[in-house]
Formats: sequence, C-alpha cells, structure tokens
Amino acid sequence: MTPSQQRSHKGNILVIDDEPAGLKLLFAILTEDGYAVHERQLDLESQLRFVKETLPDLVLVDLRKPGMDGYQVCASLKNDPTTRAIPVIFISSIDRSINQAKALLSGAVDYVTDPFDTEEVLWRIETHISLRRLRENLESAACKHSAQPVAPNEDLERAFQEIHVLTQVTGRKHAEEKVRQAKRELKRSEALLAEAQRLSSTGSFSWKVATDEITWSEQLYRIFQFEQDTPITLELIGSRVHPEDLAMLNDMIDRARREVSDFEYEHRLLMPDGSVKYLHLIAHGIRDHEGRQEYIGAVQDVTQRRFSEDALAKARTDLAKVARVTSLGVLTASIAHEVNQPLSGIVTNASTCLRMLSADPPNIDGALETARRTIRDGNRASEVITRLRMLFSKKEPSPEPMDLNQATGEVIALSLGELQRRQVILRAELAADLPLINADRVQLQQVILNLLRNASEAMSTVDDRPRELLIKTERDEGDRVRLSVKDVGVGFEPQAADRLFEGFYTTKDDGMGIGLSVSRSIIESHQGRLWAAPNDGPGATFSFSIPCTPEGLAGEVRMPNAA
Amino acid sequence: MNSRERSAVERSLVSVVDDDESVRESLPDLLREFGFAACAFSSAEEFLASDWIDRTRCLVLDIAMPGMSGLELQRELKLRGQEIPIVFITARRDEGIRPLALEQGAVECLFKPFSDTALLQALNAALQVS
Repeated sequence: MTPSQQRSHKGNILVIDDEPAGLKLLFAILTEDGYAVHERQLDLESQLRFVKETLPDLVLVDLRKPGMDGYQVCASLKNDPTTRAIPVIFISSIDRSINQAKALLSGAVDYVTDPFDTEEVLWRIETHISLRRLRENLESAACKHSAQPVAPNEDLERAFQEIHVLTQVTGRKHAEEKVRQAKRELKRSEALLAEAQRLSSTGSFSWKVATDEITWSEQLYRIFQFEQDTPITLELIGSRVHPEDLAMLNDMIDRARREVSDFEYEHRLLMPDGSVKYLHLIAHGIRDHEGRQEYIGAVQDVTQRRFSEDALAKARTDLAKVARVTSLGVLTASIAHEVNQPLSGIVTNASTCLRMLSADPPNIDGALETARRTIRDGNRASEVITRLRMLFSKKEPSPEPMDLNQATGEVIALSLGELQRRQVILRAELAADLPLINADRVQLQQVILNLLRNASEAMSTVDDRPRELLIKTERDEGDRVRLSVKDVGVGFEPQAADRLFEGFYTTKDDGMGIGLSVSRSIIESHQGRLWAAPNDGPGATFSFSIPCTPEGLAGEVRMPNAA
Repeated sequence: MNSRERSAVERSLVSVVDDDESVRESLPDLLREFGFAACAFSSAEEFLASDWIDRTRCLVLDIAMPGMSGLELQRELKLRGQEIPIVFITARRDEGIRPLALEQGAVECLFKPFSDTALLQALNAALQVS
C-alpha cells in the first residue's frame, strides 16, 4: 500500500495505527475522495514528532489495537501547543464500545467505527477539517482586527451553523446504531423479496419515462432469460416479446407515456428456443420527487397457470360432451349394442350359409340370401362405427354457413334405399325461402338421419294405412329455422315424451338406440331445441329449431387483456 | 341329428322372440338348418297373443325389449304354468345378467354374437329338459 506522499488541497490526513493493513478500506475511501493520506506506525515519541513536522489537517488514531494507547497519543497531541488545534478522530470497532469520557477528556473530537460507512467517514472528516480551518480564519481575522467590532459575515454564519451541526454529533451514536440496524433489516428483507420473487416467478421493474431508464430485479432477468445486469432498453424487451403481441405492447408504451396512470395487461414472450411464455404485468404510474414520470411494477410468469387453465377447460368440455350424451357405462353398452346387432346377424347368417352349402344337395338359393344379408350387416356395422366415431370425435363443432334444405336432401338420398325396403312413403316440403344457417353440417345431418330412421322404425308394424313420412323445413320466429319429421307410426304417450330423449331408452331400432339423446345434445350445442309431440291422428312429430347464427359456437379464443 | 333325419312332423318348434329385425331374419334359417321348425315374434306380447305358445318346445328369447322384457316374459309364462325351456340371447354384457337368467330357470344365456355351435348346444340341452 502506498500512501500518498503529496499534500492535498482538500486535506492531509495522518493515520496512526500499528497495523495499516486493517485500514485498507479507509485509505481507499479517503484517497478516492481527494485526501492525501499518510500513515505512521512508530513509537509514541516519533509519532508526535512527525505530527509536529508535517502538521496534517486531521489525525486518525486507531483504538482497536491493544499495543497502542490511542488516548495517550491524543492527549499528547493536545498538550503540545503546535499540535493542539489538529482535530483527532478515533477509530474504533462496532463491538467495542468506546469509552466516551476518556475520549472526550483526551481531546478527540469524534470517532468512526469499523465497518466503515463511506459517507459517514467522509462527512465527519470533512466537517472537522472545515471547522478547524474556519476557526483558524476566525482567529487570524480576530487578531488582525482586534480593535474593530467583528462584522457579521457569511463565513461566520456558516461557521456557527457547522458548529451547531457538530454538537449533534455526540447525539448521533444512537442514530448510528439505528441506521446500522436498519441497514441489516433492509438487507434481510431484500433477500426475502428476492426469494419471494423467485418462488412466485415475479420480477419487478422501474421505468423512468423521460429517459427510458429501466431497472429490473434479478427474477425479471431470469424470466426474460437475459444475463444479469444487462442494461435494459425497450428495444431489448421488444426482442423477446411475441411478434403477435408486439403491436399491442407498443400501444401500451405510447399510452403510458402520454398519461400517468396504472396499467395492467398480459402478453406473450417468444424465447430463443421457440417456447412461449405468458406474462401478466401490472404497473403503477408515479411522479418522483422532482415531478418526473416513472412507472414501477411487477411482471409475473403465468405460463404454467395458463396451460393448466387451458387443459382444465378442455377436460371440462370433453367431459361435458361425454356426460351430455350419457354416463360412460351406458355409453359403452350402447355402442357395443349398436355394433353387436349387425355382428350377430353376420355370425348367424354365415353359419347358416355354411350349413346350407354343406347340405346334400346344397341349398344354393338359401346360401345366396344369407350371404347377401351378411354383406348388408357388415356394411351396417361399419356405418355404425363411422357414425359413432364422427359423433364422439374430439373435434370441436365446426360451424359453417349451410343450406338446411340441401343437407336434408342429402340425408334423404342416403336413406331412400332403406325407406323403400320398409315401404315408407316419403314426402318432403322444404321451404323455398329458408335462410342459410351457421351450423355444423355433419352433426345436423346425423340428427336428421336419426329422426328419419326413428320415424321409419315407428311405422314398421303399421299395416292398415300407408306408411307416410313427412319431412318439412320452414322459417321459425326469432330468426330461426325449423325441421320436423312426422310419421303415422305407433306414437307415444305424451307423458313419455321426455323419456324418449334419455340415453339408451330404446333398443328397438337397428340404427342408433342412443340417437335421440345425442341428437338433442347436438341441437342444444347449436342453441336450439329438439322436441317431440304426438300427432292428432296416429304417430308423432319430432322437430328441432335452431337460430340462424348461434353464438359461441366457435372454440373460445383467449385474448390478452388490454388495460 | 341332422335335418334329413327328422321328418317335418317330428321337427320341434323353436320360437324366437326378439325386437331386432336382423335376428328375426337370420335365426329361423339357422334353426331350420339345425333341423328345427322355427317362427319369429317381434315382441313378448306378440308371442303371448299368438297360437304358438303351446306348440313351442323351446324359446329363444331376447332380454332387452321395449314393452315386456325377456325376463318378464319368463315370469309371466311361469305364472301361466307354461314352463317352456328358455335360451336367452342378449347383446347386453352386464355382469349380473347371466347368473340372474340362470337363477330364474333359463337353460342358457348367450351373448350376441354367439356361435352356431353354442346355440345348438343350448337348444339340445333345453330339449333334454322338457
């Protein structure tokens, strides 16, 4: 360590210590601030002689070393008129309480404690050196003008002020202790805050609007995956923001510049590895003590929460879909049932075919018929599977503008063969002025097919009258369309109306035993209504009515909240 | 015995009661190949209202039907003192259904789709009983 050899205009300080190494920090503080610092570690006499020769502006005496008697040094300096006026400051350590009485008696003006508070040390030293100089000036001025009354002047005023301040020095011991304590508390709560930020994935920031000076907490660096202490600029932030959210962010910033207010919003980050993070940001607008606009706030990484919420919403939708139809057990049973019937037919017919062919003579005609039935049942089974798969696919309903009449026509074409086999006479009255509707075409066709088949099935035992089936479309009030299927079959009791729509109510059809309950859910998901009423005459009419433009049909899109 | 060994007079009548049209369509043909006479009914009520109850040597009966169920028909026949041996056929794979059916006196309870051999075995067993 090379203490300065020069003399400094600011002040020359002598440090008396037997182990200068312990005062490295102090030396650094003083030298930085412009003082010339010397140190001596000689015996007492040599020390005193050195002081007389060099006449420093201030002497620092270390009380901590047992080999030294600082009090003695100080007392000796005060006894000598040449060195009396030099202010002496003791250096003590925080855990060794200084003997105040002894200190005062020995003539020291103040003390500083290790660990050193830079500002404090410099303040004290500066104060004492200034005071000493002022006193010198005063005394020399008084000597020069001893006959004249001393006119009040600025220097004097200032001197008195500084003396006044100095008298508060002794009272500062308690204050110092309090400050030290407060600093310890602050350090601890800073550590706690950092930990809390890390745990909650929340970082904090401040933004001085005029200068765009931005400060971030450690956690915020981590969230953005920037190296700690990188200078933060708006451009740097923008480089991480998801391109789709950038425009919104810039809007936010513009608005924030114009008006001092609080704002809150969510946006995404696009990380270097391509992953996306969801952030939730809250900022408070304040004016600092000079009236300048500043924002302070917090940013939380809500990616996990967002994914969980999305997964939960999807699971709920899926579950609702399944629950809407029927309980899972019944669902499985009804699916098995639907497929089992054609399968059963296949097995029976094929067995019969085999026996017929192995008979002597073989029954070719019978075999042909059973073979035909087998093929038919095979097709039926695969049809059931396809229909069921479509119905229970996880696909979201995909609404599109569609013509209900056209869709109905297609279903009729599909069913013609079967209707003919059952000797059903189909009549269609499709309204010419039917508006286009926004709906899932496939799903609606499933419903229409179901209604057609039920109607046809209901008439399968009717022999005394033509098996007439009427399918009708028309406008319904309230911007809706209605489709109805009327048969002259066995009908049902009005009280039984609701039971019809329960899952797996009937097994009598070879199509969809679960058809009506599923049909109802489809119609309800289009914000429509499906109902049945017995006719005035024989049979029943099944109808559904749906709005032309059902709301909320598209999948929900989560938009970032803009403040 | 195969069909040749039985004359038309000797053929035992097996009645099929099932609301499933494809069963009513296919099963009688198979039964005839087995050497039985067969006729089919679409409901329990239809069977009860018919003239074939007395002549039916064995009943092939669906369990789940709208209106009177297969098990209910079984009970009804018992009440009427007409104990026709019953072979149940069902698409419902309830765990408890077969034990219940057997408990109530059925000869067999087969799950659709069933093999022809299984059916023949059940029918032969039924006809041993009567």
